Amino acid sequence: MGLFGKKDNAQRPPAAPAPAVPKGSAKTSKQDMAQDTTYFGKNLKINGSVSGEGSLIILGSFEGKFDLKGRLKVAQGARIKGDIKATDIYVNGDIEGAITASEKVHLDNTARIKGGITTPRLSVLEGARFDGELQMSNRTSQAPKPVSPEPKQTSPASGIPHKNETEL
Amino acid sequence: MDKRSAAGSTSLLSKKVNIVGDIEGNEDLHVEGRFKGTIKITGNILVGPTGVVDADVEAENIIIQGKINGNVLARQQLEIQSLGQLIGDCSAQSIDIKEGAVFEGRSNMLKPAASPARSTQPGTK
Repeated sequence: MGLFGKKDNAQRPPAAPAPAVPKGSAKTSKQDMAQDTTYFGKNLKINGSVSGEGSLIILGSFEGKFDLKGRLKVAQGARIKGDIKATDIYVNGDIEGAITASEKVHLDNTARIKGGITTPRLSVLEGARFDGELQMSNRTSQAPKPVSPEPKQTSPASGIPHKNETEL
Repeated sequence: MDKRSAAGSTSLLSKKVNIVGDIEGNEDLHVEGRFKGTIKITGNILVGPTGVVDADVEAENIIIQGKINGNVLARQQLEIQSLGQLIGDCSAQSIDIKEGAVFEGRSNMLKPAASPARSTQPGTK
């Protein structure tokens, strides 16, 4: 019993100062992040096209085109009419139009979507509505499938380690 | 100062983002990216140092630290800071142009009584 208490006391002091440092820097980095994140409030109406880099949060209504290199968040209550392209797309609001993500799409439980989605990865929460077509694009850039028999492997000894490598 | 009034929140158009189109609504707007079109809001606009706006702009207070090419209507105050540029005509109730600022265009002063801005203010304290 005594051993446990002793161990606890001895190990705590060196661990304590560690979290104190990032706490201060987290505040400044949060501010920097805020400067990078484009934010459209709920009282804003935008017609037109948006392009560029960085993350974008939209709470208001938007009609037009999105072409973004970065993360797009469509908040609950937001309305979008038009085609959307981004790296990641998180949807909590309404979208009418085609959605294209180069990495992933996430539909939260308040999402309402009318239109097609094209994405390699998709997650959907219960309650989300999705009327349209889904296409999980083929990843052609991946290594060729090992289906085709290769006559190159002449010795069985070299074949086994090779197979292990590809699995890793 | 109660420059941050009326509008619910501040929208930000960040550095690497371009927008072509129209913006309207009741919101403060901070522009650090590029915008082309028209802006008509019942809030304040801050065009930051990296902001470039090719648009006609209508807002309560307008602060320019970057560039605006277009006509500007500030229902209250227009402020061009020392690195700011305004190429276009302006209408405002009061103007504040800092040393080093660039302003090319006509200036038209609005009379306080003529401004319809008052009704949008929820009880000031």
